[in-house]
Amino acid sequence: MMIQDFAAFSAVREAGLAKLLPGKPRIAVGMGTCGSGNGAEAVYHAFSSEIDARGLAVQLVPVGCFGFCAEEPLVNVWVPGHPLLMLHQVQPNHVDGILNGLGHGHLPPPEIVLCKIEEWDHLAGHVKYGTGYSDVPNWNEIPFFDGQVKIVLRNCGLINPDDIEEYIAIGGYQALYKVLIDQNPAGVIEQIKASKLRGRGGAGFLTGNKWEFLAKAAGPEKYLVCNADEGDPGAYMNRNEIESDPHSLLEGMMIAGYVTGASKGIIYVRAEYPLAVLRLERAIEHARAYGVLGDNVLGRGFKFDIETVEGAGAFVCGEETALIASLESHAGRPRSRPPFPAQKGLYGKPTNINNVETWYNVAPIVAKGPAWFTEIGSPKSAGTKVFSLVGKVQSTGLVEMPFGTPLAKFIYDIGGGGTNGRDIKAVQTGGPSGGCIPADMFDTPVDYETLAQLGSIMGSGGMVVMDEDNCMVDVARYFIEFTHSESCGKCVPCRVGLDKALRMLNGFTLGTATDKDIAALDELCRMVRDTSLCGLGQSAPNPVLTSLRHFRHEFEDHILAKRCRAGVCEDLALSPCENSCPLHMNIPRFLQLYKEERVEDAFLSVILDNPLPASTGRVCQHPCDNRCRRAAVDESVNMRDVHRLIADEVLLSDKFDTMVGRVLERRQEPTGRTVAIVGAGPTGLTCAYYLALLGHDVTVYDSRPAAGGMLRYALPEYRLPKAVLDKEIELIERLGVKFQFNVNVGEQLTLNDVGQQHDAVFLAIGTWKEAWVYLPGTELTGVIPALPFLEAMSRGQEVPVGKSVVVIGGGNAAIDSARSARRLGADVTIVYRRERNDMPAIPEEIEAAEHEGAKLVYLAAPHRIVGDKNGQVRAIEVVRTKPGEFDTSGRRRPVPTDEVIRIACDTVILAVGEKVDPDFCAASGLTIKEAGTLEVDRYSLETSRERFYAGGDLITGASNVSNAMGIGKKAARNIDRRLMGEERVANLIPDFAYQMEPPETPSQSGRHVPGEMPAAKRVQSYAEVSLGLTVGAALEESARCLRCDVRSVES
Amino acid sequence: MDKVKIGTCWLDGCSGCHMSLLDLDEGIVGVLEKADIVFGPLVDAQEWPEGVDVALIEGAVSSQDDLDLALTARERSKIVVALGDCAVTGNVPSMRNGIPTRKLLERVYVEGATEGRGVPTDGVPALLKQAEPLHSAIKVDVHVPGCPPKPDAILFVVGALLEGRMPDLGSKLRFG
Amino acid sequence: MTEKVKVRIDGEVIAATAGQTILEVARANGKYIPALCYMEGLSAVGACRLCMVEVSGVARLLPACTTPVQEGLAVNTSSPQLESYRKIAIELLLVERNHVCAVCVSSGHCELQTLAQDHGVTYVRYPYNFPRLTVDATHPRYVLDHNRCVLCSRCVRTCAEVEGAHVWDMAGRGIQTRLVSELQRPWGESTTCTSCGKCVQACPTGAMAEKGWGVEEMTKKRAVVSRLSSIREGQ
Repeated sequence: MMIQDFAAFSAVREAGLAKLLPGKPRIAVGMGTCGSGNGAEAVYHAFSSEIDARGLAVQLVPVGCFGFCAEEPLVNVWVPGHPLLMLHQVQPNHVDGILNGLGHGHLPPPEIVLCKIEEWDHLAGHVKYGTGYSDVPNWNEIPFFDGQVKIVLRNCGLINPDDIEEYIAIGGYQALYKVLIDQNPAGVIEQIKASKLRGRGGAGFLTGNKWEFLAKAAGPEKYLVCNADEGDPGAYMNRNEIESDPHSLLEGMMIAGYVTGASKGIIYVRAEYPLAVLRLERAIEHARAYGVLGDNVLGRGFKFDIETVEGAGAFVCGEETALIASLESHAGRPRSRPPFPAQKGLYGKPTNINNVETWYNVAPIVAKGPAWFTEIGSPKSAGTKVFSLVGKVQSTGLVEMPFGTPLAKFIYDIGGGGTNGRDIKAVQTGGPSGGCIPADMFDTPVDYETLAQLGSIMGSGGMVVMDEDNCMVDVARYFIEFTHSESCGKCVPCRVGLDKALRMLNGFTLGTATDKDIAALDELCRMVRDTSLCGLGQSAPNPVLTSLRHFRHEFEDHILAKRCRAGVCEDLALSPCENSCPLHMNIPRFLQLYKEERVEDAFLSVILDNPLPASTGRVCQHPCDNRCRRAAVDESVNMRDVHRLIADEVLLSDKFDTMVGRVLERRQEPTGRTVAIVGAGPTGLTCAYYLALLGHDVTVYDSRPAAGGMLRYALPEYRLPKAVLDKEIELIERLGVKFQFNVNVGEQLTLNDVGQQHDAVFLAIGTWKEAWVYLPGTELTGVIPALPFLEAMSRGQEVPVGKSVVVIGGGNAAIDSARSARRLGADVTIVYRRERNDMPAIPEEIEAAEHEGAKLVYLAAPHRIVGDKNGQVRAIEVVRTKPGEFDTSGRRRPVPTDEVIRIACDTVILAVGEKVDPDFCAASGLTIKEAGTLEVDRYSLETSRERFYAGGDLITGASNVSNAMGIGKKAARNIDRRLMGEERVANLIPDFAYQMEPPETPSQSGRHVPGEMPAAKRVQSYAEVSLGLTVGAALEESARCLRCDVRSVES
Repeated sequence: MDKVKIGTCWLDGCSGCHMSLLDLDEGIVGVLEKADIVFGPLVDAQEWPEGVDVALIEGAVSSQDDLDLALTARERSKIVVALGDCAVTGNVPSMRNGIPTRKLLERVYVEGATEGRGVPTDGVPALLKQAEPLHSAIKVDVHVPGCPPKPDAILFVVGALLEGRMPDLGSKLRFG
Repeated sequence: MTEKVKVRIDGEVIAATAGQTILEVARANGKYIPALCYMEGLSAVGACRLCMVEVSGVARLLPACTTPVQEGLAVNTSSPQLESYRKIAIELLLVERNHVCAVCVSSGHCELQTLAQDHGVTYVRYPYNFPRLTVDATHPRYVLDHNRCVLCSRCVRTCAEVEGAHVWDMAGRGIQTRLVSELQRPWGESTTCTSCGKCVQACPTGAMAEKGWGVEEMTKKRAVVSRLSSIREGQ
């Protein structure tokens, strides 16, 4: 029906409303490309045939996408008088149940109910669906939608994109109608200017100004072009917008056509978007049929037509001059500007090009006025932007947020944070032309200017989240590979410069680059950025330049340490487990040797990689578990418990002496060099062990009466029996390491003395100093710091613990204290200021503490400790906190509330952190950093003083056993290289001949976990809790390894 | 004062750069007053000696022997000069680089041979995958392009080095 | 369009005509700005990026060959940064293809070789690509050696704009871009080539040459192309 007057327009509107809100239930299936890819077609057909079969009075329509990609397929169900119900992850087998419930007012099964919409603001129109379903959250109560402002996506997923009547029903084409009636083109341009709408394609040029240029350009022939050549990897908002709501695009272009004097619009859309092309063409056809498009638009005498042109997919055709060349049937290569398209564009005529999303903002601004628009967003960037949030977050999808929203909101609130407990490292914005922004800058508000300051760009709105499994060098390499292959080849910097940059980046990922290459790459990328002809070349280096700026240490790791921490660059790692192990244990090797039932070889393999395998087998944080590829099949291999068993089988048996002999066989010839090590903790012991194996004369000084450091004096017996540790230390002693106990370096012996007596000195003292918190009442009797408490426990000394204990803190020391206090028979409450999954302690330990009867109080911060008149603790008052904004560690900051809780107790154990006491180092002229740790070279570990090395907590602050040992091993390697002038550590490893093929059939069994003593029995003794794996279980566990270390032998 | 020690060698090249060196005419007298040539095709020494001051290296790095000699020369010399286009750019020897080594050897020793067909394996150094400029194998201090570099250019460079200066080549030299 | 404007190039005030490019004004006044893809008489395309200059008040560098002058424009043709970028561009051109000057007919008369010399490029810091490329010797009088092509498109423009035959064009993308004659036919089989040879004269390197010359023997009569074009403009 042709609309030539208002009556006809109203009639169409009524017809549309009758479809949108029919007198019967309406079921709408989200059938964008994304929904269809997730099975929406099958769901639609299931509904269709079931409705037919049952003869139900139900209206079934396809709609576009509501944006929550992670939850596709999405289905809306509306029953007259009720809210619109949004269902997620709907499968054909749900159809029956949904239809059964419809007539009876029953909700579908709760697992597929996502949210409800009671009313919806389409901006030019408003739809009231109904009220009810009190148990179902409103759409904007879902974290993914919370804070979203849908302007561009106002109609997406709610109306049938193939039905112009539904579009008109929700206020569509009203803004156009108004513009045609008002006949004030200049006024409309003023409105767009006043709205400060900026081009959404990336550059952010003011749209109103561009329109004004075109309106002023002479000539009857002018063109409007919509750039729908969306080509950024990871960006798909334009596709979704067109697929879900094509008419809004047409309306925006027609308004611009009227006010700028253009009569022809062209939509340049990627041929890879067949559904978008189809829906656009249908929309254009319908618009013509309804008189909305054509020689006499809406009967107002305005002539305008729109056609689509399919682009063949060259990325560079998103650049406006290349796009014009492509429209003119030339090869898509950019040309120099000026002249600008507004002067000389398509076929030499004045032309205005805007991005899809820009056009979607036009009708709402005209309908609601510029003041409404500028209220939203930030001062310089008005309105909203649609972002495609993808990558390593839990909830992915299209997110429309006001400009100025901090990155943290996108990533942690909407995206739900990292997946599988991984830490998020960076977000890449703007696609291949953008850059990577590190997590510690996530408080940055997102708008054009702030992103540019960080070296990135807004671009089309792609947001790819990266976590610790992403290598930033590899990410930069990936994007350069993309732009390199999409370069048109016209100008030298982009054509050859990107090719060279790619080759250089390949060198980094292979570990063949040199330290000079960082500067050379930086210079080359700046040259490409500053001298390329078009936007592609000018922005292509951004991913490299921002990574060099924010992640330079990763580039350095690749060349100086030949290390890819993320384990992505395969040439730099043996296997994911080895790469994640601080000691770089050859895990596949000992698993294979154990599998071949060569226990002694397996032990030798383990002990040569890790001098404390039984201890670490019990207390390591096992980063290897998180990287194991077996997890993709079922669960990770329990590597830690296998090496614990291998170690126990030798250390605690009569094989011990034989095996000490075999380790001694590996000891290199005496070198005549002497090394002093200060601190007999895990770091110092590890360094001493390797230096002794390498033939040096090693003396270890420690202020305590025995070796082991934290392992001995902080870890409770029930976690690490000291008999096990003693055996490990005995082996180190039998290698010839000399110990000087009860010596306080800095008091009895100065560092200078030590330095004069030895060829090298390694400082490895631990974090024995309590980080103190200001808390009223800490002076009371019954308040004790955690470390002295644990040390007294381990020494078997009397500890002043009462009947009810409150432990403050969430780290391992807090949990150890709590579990020890339980064994003393006390009631224990652990108070932690954040939420449970923010606790730094090992999760299994927290669980164990709970099983043993410790109570946990989260979101509570200590306020004051209350004492009686004798100065004895009576209670502690804690303030309830609530989770606030995300901080840069990706955790929510605890915000205190007014609620104070009083917990009666007679003992308070403070486990709020430890720090090193490095004063003695400062006296010897070593540089101390602001954080209180020693300054060392990141790679050599040498301090500001020559021949003095440092490691462990002294340089990292409080850490864990394996990290500390890893640094000790690295220090030994560096000290040996310095003393001997060559790399010798590899000589320690004998040739273990073992099978170097992946298993034909890896063990099908699931992960084996060691048995535990029952909790009730545990609290009555200090016996070890974990019972370890049985030999059978360990054998099967080693057969579960997939052997990632085996490289393809094909040449 | 001790004389400056100069070593020269000839990797994958045509010896043209050494010819150019001999072409210094009477200029060579001035050079030899200040320097001894201690290694190279022009003298008898069998091994690159320690403590060389200036190494003049002609030719691209094309075989394992070339690479070994370049590494030795670098280790035992203070200043390394890449002499001529082959050492500077790879030049003519690098024209084989688009062809896989195996195919290249077969083309020459099998298809191209009339008798004794077969790729030799004994007594000839292994060919590297590509003939590369010297600076891709070792650090080079001065590059002297030219095919060959003109005698006066060599004299200019050597003269400056003998006086303990790094030569400023500016726009004096061109490739080819 | 003969509006006179005053511009400042490297501090010197110069009279110019509006519509002229920075490069045209500079060259007409004896100021050196390097360029490879630019040739008098052909349209400017801004492809080699050697002529980038600093314009005061503009944050970005601009290509002199396509930027028109306007009143008061102040240009710097040289700076340490520009020099460093030009040097990189020359090095990139040298590593892209197989430029073996020692065996080239154009050695001694080659614009790339001269640019390298003028800018003190005595060696190249980037690894060579050593691509495997063909030589098209199918034309009876001329030869096209892709090993020496710098993709400046001067031949393309000469043939399209001066001869009107448009035999040449660019195919492929990025580092794979190649000069092609007539729908990828061998040059000798082209039905549109008039064998006028102007493309050969316009070529800045030895990529296009007349047959029969030895090393260093091919000199090009570039002025022919420029003169033809200026005569026509005068008509």
